[in-house]
Amino acid sequence: MEQKFKRSFDELKNIVTMTETVFRQQDLPEGLRHVVDLATEELFVNMVTYNTESEEDILIQMVPHEHGIEVGLTDYNVERFDPTKAGKVDVDAPLEERTPGGLGLYLVMKMVDSIHYEYRNRQSKITFVVDRK
Amino acid sequence: MFEIEITDGGIVSVEGRLDAAQAVKAQAFLDQVEGQCVLDLSKLEYISSAGLGVLLKTHKRLMGSGSGIKLVNVNHHIHDIFRYSGFDKLFEIVPASG
Repeated sequence: MEQKFKRSFDELKNIVTMTETVFRQQDLPEGLRHVVDLATEELFVNMVTYNTESEEDILIQMVPHEHGIEVGLTDYNVERFDPTKAGKVDVDAPLEERTPGGLGLYLVMKMVDSIHYEYRNRQSKITFVVDRK
Repeated sequence: MFEIEITDGGIVSVEGRLDAAQAVKAQAFLDQVEGQCVLDLSKLEYISSAGLGVLLKTHKRLMGSGSGIKLVNVNHHIHDIFRYSGFDKLFEIVPASG
């Protein structure tokens, strides 16, 4: 299944609806939902927040397979930004040194089973896989 | 769906999905809280980094005046997120029973 979404946080509820539909139709284990929801939101929000020069919709593709699900997010007419190379977060830092933000991509890298970035013709595509455990 | 409210016992109840679309609403509510704050997360289904940012910002503000946030009835999935984020070292967390 694939669907395009406007560059707005208001689309998050529609992305959740898409994910629910894919999981129901493909009878995927609900245990994977939290990771898929989180990774999809964090990557979508990152595109909306930082790729501000584009007005084009963001394409989300969800492809179930025997080991789980693969999710791709494609952003059009943007500069290269590889989220897999985002800066590290010190999650052991004391409270006074912690700041809101920066955790999203860290959590994605921590929770998905694999992730891949490609950039071509001003299209930025990030693909992640969440496997059945 | 996302709801946040103060219950009769003075505990703040958080329900639904605390994502980037709801973070502004959650922050506006928690900005009004003073003193020790207990958040009941038994009905919280989902939290993303935007929601974590709301909790962290509020906790730091309250800690500045000698109080803070206590997170209670935290389900397994939400607890995993807190643990990955290092929040289990920053907040007092009481897991959900059962």
